[in-house]
Amino acid sequence: MKNIYKLIGAFMIVSLFGCNDAIDIEQPGRLGAENAFTSVADLQAGLLGAYNFLDTTNEIGFTAAFTDESTRGRDNGGQNVNIQNFNLNSGNGYVSNIWLSYYGAIGTANRIIAAAGSVDSSEDQTAYDNILGQTYAIRAYSFFQILTYFSTDYRDDSALAGILVTAPATDIFADVPRSTNGDFYAQIESDLNAAAGLITSNTNQTFMGQDFLTALRARMAAYRGQYTVADGHAASLLASYPIANQAQYVNMFNDSDFTEIIFSLERNRNDSFDGQGLTGGGWAGSLFAFIDSSAGGGPYMEMSRAVFNILDGTSDVRLTTAFNAGDSTVDTGYDGNNNYLNDDVLLVQKYPGSDGQPLMNDLKVFRSAEMLLIRAEAAASASNFTAAATFIKQLRDARLGTAQPIPSYANQTEAFGAILDERRLELLYEGHRWVDLKRLGDMGGRAIDRDAWECSFLAGCTLSNSDFRFTLPIPLSEVTANAAVQQNPGY
Amino acid sequence: MKTKFSGILTLLLAFVVQLSFAQGKTISGSISDEDGLPLPGVNIIVSGTSNGTQTDFDGNYSISANTGDVLSYSFVGYKTIEKTVGSANNISFAMAIDATAIDEVVIEAFRTSTKETSNIASTTITASTIEARPNASFVQTLQGQVAGLNITTSSGQPGANSTINLRGVSSLSGNTEPLFIIDGVPVDEDNFRSLNPNDIESLSVLKDAGATSIYGNRGANGVVKITTKRGSYNSGLKITYTGTTSFSTLQNHDYNLMNSREQLQLEKDFGSGFGATLSDTELDIRARQADTNWLDVFFGTGLSQSHTLGLSSGGENVNSFTSFGYNDTEGILKRASTLKRFNFRNNLSGKSSDDKFNYATSVSINYSESNEPNSIGSGAINRNFVLGANQSVPYISPNAYVAGQGGNIPVVFANTPLFLLDRLDTYTRREDEIKIIANVNASYKLTNDLTYGASIGADFTDEQLLRVEAPTSFNAQLFAATGDNTPGFSDQDVTRTLAFNFNQNLTYAKTFNEKHGLEVSLFTEYFKAHLRSFGFRQLGFDPATFYPGDGSGFVNDNANDDNYVDTGRANIQNAGLFSYYAFADYDYDKRYGFSATVRRDASYRFSQSNRWGTFYSVAGRWNISNESFMQDSFFDVLKLRGSYGTTGNQRIVDAVGQFAYFSGPDLTRDLFATGGQYGGQNGIAVSQIGNNELKWETVVQANIGLDFELLKRRLRGSVDFYKKNTEDLFINAPIAGSINGGTTGIRANVGELENRGVDIELHYDLFKAKKDGGFNLTLNGVTNYNKQEFISLGDGGDIPFGNRVGGPLAEIYAAPYVGVNPANGNLLFLDINNNITEDLQEEDQRATGQNIYPDWQGSFGLDMDYKNFFFTTQFNYTIGVERYDFDYSGFIDPTAIGQFRHSRDILRAWQNPGDITDIPSLNATNLSDEGLSDRHQRDSDYVRLRFVQLGYALPSNVLDKVGFSSAKLFVSGENLITFTEWRGFDAEALGASQNGYPTPKTLSVGLELGF
Repeated sequence: MKNIYKLIGAFMIVSLFGCNDAIDIEQPGRLGAENAFTSVADLQAGLLGAYNFLDTTNEIGFTAAFTDESTRGRDNGGQNVNIQNFNLNSGNGYVSNIWLSYYGAIGTANRIIAAAGSVDSSEDQTAYDNILGQTYAIRAYSFFQILTYFSTDYRDDSALAGILVTAPATDIFADVPRSTNGDFYAQIESDLNAAAGLITSNTNQTFMGQDFLTALRARMAAYRGQYTVADGHAASLLASYPIANQAQYVNMFNDSDFTEIIFSLERNRNDSFDGQGLTGGGWAGSLFAFIDSSAGGGPYMEMSRAVFNILDGTSDVRLTTAFNAGDSTVDTGYDGNNNYLNDDVLLVQKYPGSDGQPLMNDLKVFRSAEMLLIRAEAAASASNFTAAATFIKQLRDARLGTAQPIPSYANQTEAFGAILDERRLELLYEGHRWVDLKRLGDMGGRAIDRDAWECSFLAGCTLSNSDFRFTLPIPLSEVTANAAVQQNPGY
Repeated sequence: MKTKFSGILTLLLAFVVQLSFAQGKTISGSISDEDGLPLPGVNIIVSGTSNGTQTDFDGNYSISANTGDVLSYSFVGYKTIEKTVGSANNISFAMAIDATAIDEVVIEAFRTSTKETSNIASTTITASTIEARPNASFVQTLQGQVAGLNITTSSGQPGANSTINLRGVSSLSGNTEPLFIIDGVPVDEDNFRSLNPNDIESLSVLKDAGATSIYGNRGANGVVKITTKRGSYNSGLKITYTGTTSFSTLQNHDYNLMNSREQLQLEKDFGSGFGATLSDTELDIRARQADTNWLDVFFGTGLSQSHTLGLSSGGENVNSFTSFGYNDTEGILKRASTLKRFNFRNNLSGKSSDDKFNYATSVSINYSESNEPNSIGSGAINRNFVLGANQSVPYISPNAYVAGQGGNIPVVFANTPLFLLDRLDTYTRREDEIKIIANVNASYKLTNDLTYGASIGADFTDEQLLRVEAPTSFNAQLFAATGDNTPGFSDQDVTRTLAFNFNQNLTYAKTFNEKHGLEVSLFTEYFKAHLRSFGFRQLGFDPATFYPGDGSGFVNDNANDDNYVDTGRANIQNAGLFSYYAFADYDYDKRYGFSATVRRDASYRFSQSNRWGTFYSVAGRWNISNESFMQDSFFDVLKLRGSYGTTGNQRIVDAVGQFAYFSGPDLTRDLFATGGQYGGQNGIAVSQIGNNELKWETVVQANIGLDFELLKRRLRGSVDFYKKNTEDLFINAPIAGSINGGTTGIRANVGELENRGVDIELHYDLFKAKKDGGFNLTLNGVTNYNKQEFISLGDGGDIPFGNRVGGPLAEIYAAPYVGVNPANGNLLFLDINNNITEDLQEEDQRATGQNIYPDWQGSFGLDMDYKNFFFTTQFNYTIGVERYDFDYSGFIDPTAIGQFRHSRDILRAWQNPGDITDIPSLNATNLSDEGLSDRHQRDSDYVRLRFVQLGYALPSNVLDKVGFSSAKLFVSGENLITFTEWRGFDAEALGASQNGYPTPKTLSVGLELGF
């Protein structure tokens, strides 16, 4: 019987010993949230993490395909077919990416802001302030992008924007309703003010400095129709950011000239966006071609005839940059040619690549040209048509390389119409057209303007500017999880 | 146990009895079976003496005995009869079958019982139905053999992972496959490619809670217990050889695909693609020049061979079984898909001469090399070989590809087959795997009734993955950075996992008063698993010294560019479980039985939330046929079983293969991770939002079953009704991305899913030969009906276009497609209010109640033998499977004209107002709405001749001459014929991926020899 006792003893020992050894396992390399932010350097790491959420390729890809900027390309294997046909619903990938990437940035910013209080700032007060300032700036910009894409009317403070989140969630399952534009604007203002009080330096155009804040204020004011404010901010930036000449313009899109760049999101080899991103989230150029912007680069979205026909035959540097003239096949008889997909291949080259990596370029967020066009808008809004025309001429002079005749506008509709036309070319494939038609289309008498032949293969050639699809649906993932969120009309 | 053992001894004695000359009074007679036919070989013995004889071939016997002696008549499978010698000199009678005497052994979790005394629902498959089948993984062979075990293989890759579900799918995001235990070692249930099916002795599927709850933490999806072959004590050397050679080919499709001329004409008529640029004469010339069926280029006949040599022998106190296996299987995707393996197994058993100490080892060492193509099922025209086979236009000739010139292929979609021919030449994807499964177990009888046992086992896998894209390949050249003249990459990864299992038990077993059998066991189980992996990606190869897997051609990073920046990776993960549990079984007179299990389990995954889970079961039986009132009924066996109990699932995330033990290790924690690089510097970002309330998923299962054998055992079978409810379902629960930093889901326990149904198994001996060599025909049928339903989805309720209470798992949401509008050729659908519409909205999608899981599935077939011939068929079927036929949608997609191949169906497309047809206009403007509809939803039910075999066993007179103890020759076929409305290659594949790798049909010839 002694054996039994020994064995039972062994049982017990193994039970106690085995229990903890097999169950209490700390996986290697874990950084618990409670230890994530303990120093200024940690906050800096968090800030970079927040920057890494910012990505405008979703807006660029969506806008190009939904409006009249791009059209089905030769090597299209079904990409963007839904939104080219104005089929937009809450399951759309772009929609969900826009929502989630900015809320990713907001969430990270909220964690940094919440943790900053317990970090000893005396370690490096300047660095601390700049980190926190940029964090507020990222949050402000992200809130503004959410509002831009999900609010029905920028000028209506009582319209619904997104969910206003300013602290890490205490209840991850909570249902939170949408806030109004008014609340959003107030929060953005507050964040911008906080940022302005903290940021001391303008490091370079890829990190958010004071000029970024000013540019965001200018754009936001313009979207809200607060043109006096917008004009002031735009003017102040134009003082230090001149309009690029043709050579500078070309180099700007090779990421080698920064004359005009107020802020751009840097894209490098081996960063998290270094790869194909056919529906956003990768190389900007891969929104149009699989491999590169050459004829053999697998063009699946090409320059629309609507845009090409405007620029073709001019000396406009915007054609030179956005279009690969050397490799494209231009079929003058495309209209009526059933085989136009193969015969008329108009290659997008706005994002030719950098650092040896085709299709990879910095994402231009704020350029002085936009500021100039905001000034034109402000002038048109004040019925100062000569001033508006002068701004347009200034831009066209630079882009066409020769002095252009000064346009004349008889009324606001003409002026806004001309500004929209100019924005269409200037900000082509930079994710503006959809927003611009939404906010100015009716004022300028413009709408989605697709080429008649190209759109004969699609469900529609144009869409009313007041159509519900000029506001994105709240994505399905949010509607599913958040019972309090109100879907946008029409979806 | 004790009574059974003595029974065996009696039998042995009966066989070895000495025959002797007759003395004294001679009793003679003839013995027949129940049908009155003579029964040869009946042992007749004068009780208490060694005097005995046997009946002759005609059932006659004679024996000398004295009046008053008792004669005992015994024969295997029949009840032993005793007759007292009286005045008569002739004693003749018919023997009665003893149903209990040939009681089958039932394999349970940690014990074996008999069919009579088992309380559980289980099915055992023996070696005879697994051996010598040409499937690289034995799991494929199991398909259709066990009621309720639904096995689908969605890939034709040799040894591919199959999806295995027992009695429905029981989890949403967690593991849904049964626990596999090989010789006491829990193993990775996704990877059997390295194991030799011919080593398997038996395989038992444990189904109900009574059988599985003893496995508590891993028993939720059922348990498959595999025992490999062993030697037997006191036996001479026995050598067996099994060899098969197989030929696999692509199954047929019914897509009615165009030839070169038709495809070019379609392009010309539609005005898009190469055909549109040709004149009629040019088109004619091209169509004559090239008419390639790319299916024949990428697919072909896979030639396979398999050899297994087994040696077994045994002495007084030790026996062993050793086997060597070699298998070389070619997949039907030519060159890209192969499996070669080498197997070694040694199973050793030993005991002390007093039988108190027993030990056994089982060791198998396996090595396999496979070429396994990736990107299968994807839309990557430069990576998916199957896409190239299915969709490439026929007017391109394979001769258009020049080896080594991949970089010069013009980049247009129509050149898809050329990109892929180049990939066949230039891409390497090889997996080398060492797999060792080893177990040692020992037991010691502390007293007559009390036994201590221990078992230590391990499942070790070392996988080396090599993926190389050659520098001259199309893909490398295509994606090369500007100025990179030496592109290409090599990924080399080593992943090593060890899962270690240590089980101890104390068992007390005793029979009281011959009627009360009691068995009580206590156990502890310790499980630990470790993963170590490392690897790198090398960018850049010098073509001059390039060789896949070798570093001679590696190009190093330089100061000029970032083209050759290599990345390294490494991973360490650990997992563990600990449990203690108890089992008790009580039997009363083989008439009533009752057993119970209780188990406490701890998992490392819940160490910070709900670490312990308790699972239990109770089970009982009533052997109705053993009751006295049943003695004269036509039931030989009638047993009612019932069980109720719980099992747990701690595999929150359904990771595959080697990673399964380690996935989601600490989902209870909020974590940050290094990454989120911006501006050339590393940042940190939230990598996981924790759920500190995570707990075990629990399956509560009730089972009522009936085992029966009747009509003199000619009809045998069982029926089991079950209801299986998964509570605290693992779900990727939606959380609002807005308030959670862009995270939209979190692993949580939400809701309840029910699977209920019935398993039926029937065997009927339609013809039963009276003697050897006669005609035997047995009909077999196995079926399962299973219905799934969400009982609850927690506070969040129904998910739009997803799971809903009352709906099945993975329900299809779609709006009905009703045809083509004769006025304009657009597609017509029904909106949510059943009005006809051309403009479908998201909300028009409705719940259909349909999904990809079958309502009914099973098999039927027959086993036949006559003289030395044997013949087997097995037809598998499924009913109630709905899938999307994306392959077909590709073949009638007008936007792909000029790029890909089409079905002739597209020629029926609407052209003019008034046309009545089923194919919309090629320029239909609402084609993209079809994604919200059921247009391509198809019924994928099938009946398939899953297996057929015809064999011949050499007669003994021939064998004697050639020196073999046994020899069998056979030809067999797998998947030869399928009856289905599904138009694709393989009705069986689960899911709906386009351009997947279909399972093949296979013809094989084989040979089994015994020395």
